[in-house]
Amino acid sequence: MTVAPTRTRAAWPIVADGQYEGSRIPSPIPTVKTVPADFAERDDIMRVNFGPNHPSTHGVLRLIVDLDGEMVEGIEAIIGYLHTGFEKTMESKTWWKCVTYPERIDYVGYQNNELVFVLAVEKLLELEVPEKATWMRMLLCELNRIHSHLIYLGTSALELGAVSMFWYCFREREMILDLYEMVTGQRMHTRYFQIGGLAEDIPEGFYPECRKFVEWFPHALNDYLTLLDRNAIWLERTKGVGVLSASDAIALGQSGPNLRASGVDWDLRREQPYLAYNRVDFQVPVYTNGDVYDRYRVRMDEMRESNRIVDQCLRRLERMEGRPIIVDDRKVVLPPREELHTSMESLIHHFKIVTEGFRVPEGEVYVTIESPRGEQGCYVVSEGGPKPWRVHFRAPSFVALEATATCLHETLVADLIAIVGSLDAVMGDTDR
Amino acid sequence: MVKRLRDEGLSSERLLWPTKGPSRFEEELGVEEIERALGITTLEKAVRWAQTKSMWPDTFGLACCAIEMMAIVSSRYDIARFGMEAFRSSPRQADLLIVSGRVAHKMAAPIRQIYDQMLEPKWVIAMGACASSGGMFNNYTILQGVDRILPVDIYVPFCPPRPEALMEGILRLHEAHNAGVPPAYERRTVATS
Amino acid sequence: MTFSDLPGFVDQSEAYGERTVTIEAARIRDACEFARDELGFQVLSDLVATDYLNWGAKGVSGYIATSTGRDINFPMTQGMQTLPALKPTRFSVSYHLLAMRQPPERVRFKVWLEEGDSVPSVVSVWPTADWHEREQFDLMGIRFDGHPNLKRLIMDDDWEGHPLRKDYPQGGEPVRFSDAE
Repeated sequence: MTVAPTRTRAAWPIVADGQYEGSRIPSPIPTVKTVPADFAERDDIMRVNFGPNHPSTHGVLRLIVDLDGEMVEGIEAIIGYLHTGFEKTMESKTWWKCVTYPERIDYVGYQNNELVFVLAVEKLLELEVPEKATWMRMLLCELNRIHSHLIYLGTSALELGAVSMFWYCFREREMILDLYEMVTGQRMHTRYFQIGGLAEDIPEGFYPECRKFVEWFPHALNDYLTLLDRNAIWLERTKGVGVLSASDAIALGQSGPNLRASGVDWDLRREQPYLAYNRVDFQVPVYTNGDVYDRYRVRMDEMRESNRIVDQCLRRLERMEGRPIIVDDRKVVLPPREELHTSMESLIHHFKIVTEGFRVPEGEVYVTIESPRGEQGCYVVSEGGPKPWRVHFRAPSFVALEATATCLHETLVADLIAIVGSLDAVMGDTDR
Repeated sequence: MVKRLRDEGLSSERLLWPTKGPSRFEEELGVEEIERALGITTLEKAVRWAQTKSMWPDTFGLACCAIEMMAIVSSRYDIARFGMEAFRSSPRQADLLIVSGRVAHKMAAPIRQIYDQMLEPKWVIAMGACASSGGMFNNYTILQGVDRILPVDIYVPFCPPRPEALMEGILRLHEAHNAGVPPAYERRTVATS
Repeated sequence: MTFSDLPGFVDQSEAYGERTVTIEAARIRDACEFARDELGFQVLSDLVATDYLNWGAKGVSGYIATSTGRDINFPMTQGMQTLPALKPTRFSVSYHLLAMRQPPERVRFKVWLEEGDSVPSVVSVWPTADWHEREQFDLMGIRFDGHPNLKRLIMDDDWEGHPLRKDYPQGGEPVRFSDAE
């Protein structure tokens, strides 16, 4: 098999790569910025500890910062304060019980995390998911993307002093969670995606409610823009701060909005379509400066595009009344509830799946999706038994935090907060 | 040994059975009536009432529950109605520690330090299944319940609890404090067993 | 240029639409550099180690679950339908690479390691490997030669053992009505 020849660095998908000369990745340790040698001897370098309990580190992140006055000269991030042992715990649960766990990893983009695991198991089982389930998954994932970006926007703005943004963002977040509650019964951590489809049919009255939200949300986005986009303090604090160049971002494995803000035109939803993303119309926003402001703009535009995708999903779904929501493979999928009272076979299948679980063929897969934070990967190894042998998640937040040291170039300590916020790391995702 | 409320000489019935009305002892004394008629109260009760109206939580988010904890400040739930909208970033200014999420062993020492830095009287709410009991994470890294290291006043179940559930926990805490239940650290250091 | 030109190429296979290329452990750094510069795999998406201790030891389900026949203490249903293919060594390290082009291409480089073996670090090829390698060192105990800062990342510095290994207990507390009781 042949592989296409190497493209030059400026070739697609890199739209712009000239944010700064050369590379700013610290050497030799790419994630630790050390105080320059001529500084280290001076005794006015102050070492400050941020976290793990700090109101503006987005969770239990600990940063050890060397300050020269107000300037950040060195930084080291320490993570692991929220290590939950997902990967070990999932090895002792049956496949269908495991679905509950990935949501708690990235607890802001929970629906996408659930999706990646379910897709990985479906790939091993080679299941064909019904169309209605696919579109509904897409709808919920896009709502979840909006939810995630709203949390980013609310908390980042709060940290930079724009307190009212928090209330506006949480107003729309509540609307999204109401929709979630209507469909799944849970606000967060829904466990709505089953292996093979959806857990329940879409309730009556969901489409009109969702449509109301879709029609309302662009107005809300305009509200946000009015509040922030001409706000001199916000612009001052974000423009030109925490610049990351395209080639550094790629070398550091960045993905998602952080990568697109650095001028790389790359979105897995478009390049490597999963679900039915190749059947919807949406734009991939790309900005070229790579600073905090551009990361904010990418997320704002993404929310608008996500809203459009939700709209298109709704149009499809409204015509799919009564279609199946889950595959009809009784060896994998729980039988419908009402059958348990009438059919012996269904009862046996239910009992077998619930007690011992189903078996998944031997093999290993690595599935990636575009979660709100970037490339969310799931590596699953199956031994052929009822439990996974190894599950590993490629966490976009984990990778995003690696770029902290690179983004800090002649930065004030106050901008450190803006930068860490703009990378949008969720600590549960980072530590797993 | 776990001390019971009545060992403290407290009217536990009042908590468990709020509609029961005054006890026989109170009836004979007529305390309620005197208070109502004269508009007087004991200093202790007045202080307790004041404390419940400004019980400031620490800004301490751990995991999933932290998002729902943030939501109680938002406009729909508006914890300001109960005088608690002022989330304090410094533990020294906070009265209430809401442990919102799973606690890893690595995090245990920082949490205990934050708790020790808080000034008395102080309260702890274990929010969610993980903080209460370890929840679904029965493994090497997660502390099986934050009551191993902190005296917990109120446990809020669910995973994650709705904002309403957390508010219910907070209101129960207010109720208990108004009724004279001392904070958990006066009753025990940490959970037994 | 094809995958068989990679330094240290051993073999390649395809399953579930994913290409796996096995590389000699000692030459993985060269192979990664080659893949980045010549084959266009600019991004290291993920780096993950797997412990295959007692892989396939559960046996097939049914009446041949144990050597003495079916053991009623171990329900027959806990085994597997067929015996999985044996693995060459205990540990594997998988490098998931991504080529940003149209259509995008992914490949998995795989090295096989025994307990105590070390593997060359790829931090000099992709800086993003820094934390990935530290995480795998921490949780799986794989040593990466040439890593500039190989110390624990997730667990406490004084933690003993590597939790994701199969011989490391899951920990926690016994729960009633479960296997662990």
